[in-house]
Amino acid sequence: MSNLHEGATMLVSNFVLPNDLHVHWSMMIVLYPYITGLVDGAFIIGALYYLFDVKTLKPVARFSLLFALAFLLCATIPLLLHLGRPERNLNMLLTPNPSSAMAGFGYIYAVSMGVLTFIVVFVYRPDMVELKQRSRGVVKLICRLLTFDCDDLSPRAMNLDARIIKILMGIGIPVAAVLHGYVGFIFGGVKANPTWSTPLMPVIFLFSACVSGISAIVLAYIVIRKITGKPIDGPCIVTCIKTLTGFFILAFSFEMLEVFSHSYLRSGYHHMVAGLLNGPLAESFWLWQVKICSGIPLVLLTVMAFIKLRQSWYTLLAAAVSAILLLQVFIMRWNVVIGGQLMSKSSRGYTVFHPEWFDKEGIVTVIVVMLIPFVILFVLGKIFPFWADERKAEC
Amino acid sequence: MKITAAPPELDRRAFIISVLKGSVAGSLLLIYPMGGGDASDMLETSEMAGLPEEIPGIREQPYDIHAQRFAFIVDITRCIGCGSCCVADKREYNVPDGYYRTWVERYTKDFDDQVWVDCPNGGLDGYQHPRSDIDIQVRDTFFVPKLCNMCRETPCTQVCPVGATFTTPDGFVLMDSDRCVGCGYCIQACPYSSRFLNPVTKTAEKCTWCYHRVRKGLLPACVEVCPTGARKFGSLNDKNSEVYKILKGPGVLTVLKESMGTWPALYYLGARLEVI
Amino acid sequence: MISNYEFRLIAVAAIIVAATGLGMVVKARLIPDSFGLHGHYRAEAIDAEARRPIRHGTNASCLKCHPYEAASHLAGRHKTISCEFCHGPYADHVRDGKKMGALPVKKDAEITTLCLRCHNTEIKARAQTVIKTVAMPGHLETQQVKTTHTCNQCHHVHAPLKYINRAKQITGITGAQS
Repeated sequence: MSNLHEGATMLVSNFVLPNDLHVHWSMMIVLYPYITGLVDGAFIIGALYYLFDVKTLKPVARFSLLFALAFLLCATIPLLLHLGRPERNLNMLLTPNPSSAMAGFGYIYAVSMGVLTFIVVFVYRPDMVELKQRSRGVVKLICRLLTFDCDDLSPRAMNLDARIIKILMGIGIPVAAVLHGYVGFIFGGVKANPTWSTPLMPVIFLFSACVSGISAIVLAYIVIRKITGKPIDGPCIVTCIKTLTGFFILAFSFEMLEVFSHSYLRSGYHHMVAGLLNGPLAESFWLWQVKICSGIPLVLLTVMAFIKLRQSWYTLLAAAVSAILLLQVFIMRWNVVIGGQLMSKSSRGYTVFHPEWFDKEGIVTVIVVMLIPFVILFVLGKIFPFWADERKAEC
Repeated sequence: MKITAAPPELDRRAFIISVLKGSVAGSLLLIYPMGGGDASDMLETSEMAGLPEEIPGIREQPYDIHAQRFAFIVDITRCIGCGSCCVADKREYNVPDGYYRTWVERYTKDFDDQVWVDCPNGGLDGYQHPRSDIDIQVRDTFFVPKLCNMCRETPCTQVCPVGATFTTPDGFVLMDSDRCVGCGYCIQACPYSSRFLNPVTKTAEKCTWCYHRVRKGLLPACVEVCPTGARKFGSLNDKNSEVYKILKGPGVLTVLKESMGTWPALYYLGARLEVI
Repeated sequence: MISNYEFRLIAVAAIIVAATGLGMVVKARLIPDSFGLHGHYRAEAIDAEARRPIRHGTNASCLKCHPYEAASHLAGRHKTISCEFCHGPYADHVRDGKKMGALPVKKDAEITTLCLRCHNTEIKARAQTVIKTVAMPGHLETQQVKTTHTCNQCHHVHAPLKYINRAKQITGITGAQS
């Protein structure tokens, strides 16, 4: 006589509760943590240079701030596309429920937008002063606004700027951590879902966010510099990769610890998690997220850490690792958000998810939403030069 | 020293104190009939005559929202899977197809104690035929009606970002459809899958134990139509009610997913271990 | 002695503080009045839900106007069955105490389908202490009637044993049940 509650036997009927058939949090909710994660990781690079004085990161420091700003500007788009009643989105600002992690969005986003915008304004003030003197009309007006209508570039003013940037960065790091950490807690605080409810969720999200952001900066830097025919700063890439390695080891360890804890503790709904990872998510989790997109980067990063390589090889490997890790973090978000919803609360079965092409939250929408920040970045790059070596003065 | 006018700080302090004492809240009560309305202003008198009170004590006096306690008991040994409850609920609220405020599941057991569960169309069509999609010798079959558990430690109200779902002072977890932004967080948080996103209004929805009927002294629609008494509802202030006697009696009552710590107000009689 | 630049920075900071203050005032104005009365929600929503019009009545409300059906329904085994389950909700039929629409009356095969929702023995799930179940067409064969018969050809839908008991009385078969 088989055990009534032995995991495998519970899954036999593949019973999905009637209201569980539909997956409510779709690709836009996969995209939102991905975008705020990119913001966080890019911000870390900027913070390492401006706050912690890691001099080797100077080439990408300003670019990473612009990158973070471009993506942060787009962070609300996936959410508005997801909401059933987006016209009521201001309710989050008017009556945020203090016990709800999601309610934090309105104010945390506003504060982080403010902090990042001001950091960019202060970092680029010398460029804006110069641009103001060269331009006319609307552009001149914008420059006046961004420089507080003051041309003071004296050492006293620049020192003040540097201090302000440091203070804003100091505020910005915890704000950025909360901006993405609260998203992790949105999932971590749902006890009804066995893969989501873990205290490790905000930690996993934060570390993998840093991985994705740093990878994005590395890849973007290499690609843009190659396309525009400019040289790539070796030590900068090395520092980025070392930081990336540290964050990735942490992120991967916590992801695996999470799975291992489940399989060891075997508490309550463990069979659902095991059934999910070995069933509907077997390919996307074990093959793609772990073996290909975590295994290969681990090997490559080990090679890059211990073997002395020519810079061209190192740069190539850096670009490859970054691309794979960008994919890894996306797949991880997918597995958590959509994978988690495949489990029915009946504890007896799994539903299926069919991504649509032309839906409000469809594949085409995902592509468009991911392209918008790059368009913004392109426009920002016309106003605020990406690279420090395009300017003669110190930044 | 003569003080001609209260300094601004004292005025502010006095105001805050008065708010804390609830005097502002109290004055609001005068403007809004916050649960202080009684059944008579909810039902026309002619209707009331034709709809006798089914929950004693609701209509006699003004409804004190802070002094109510209700319980819902589902007796699995009496459910025959007719699906009347599902049909009545769908009609009462015009629930869209494919979504269910309440449903009835069928549990089939074979001689190896293997349990097979199904719920075609939420049980709306009743259960007329045995399962044809599994090839087993059936030892036992029973039905389990499910609906909102009206948790007392509600995970759904905890996560609503805008305060669109809430627990009333009389213990009902309700929806404010004018406030809901349709984020779907409450749907994720409910361990019992009681909630869904209404495809027409694009807001979240769930069973409300027919609050609008209970406030008029009537039983919820599903309890009203249940022919065998598998669904029972009543006020715990009424010591003669069936639910009071069952709850205070010696029998065994269980709740779903007790380990989640939601403390449901929905109890099950005769639920076996395999009912989750 | 602060410089021009420092002065402007202080001005910007002051503007931000002022804007925040203004935002808080606007926010307080936009929050609905009844919000926060009982908890973090709009207390008016409780009343809004309580005032929702009811769609189902009760059996008593149907039988009040249908005394003929009341007599047989309340005397028979089906007295616990809701009229509205077979016929439709009260609100589709009566408004403000007046009839405003007709409710459907089931016929023939529809009736058999409805009966079998409860009385089908096939799925072996219904405790005989709760409800008597039969198998089709076995029941018809046992009762020696044509297997094309619908249930209401022998059973009064509102009081299913009414004709059966009368028939047993007439034919002198003992063991008549109510």
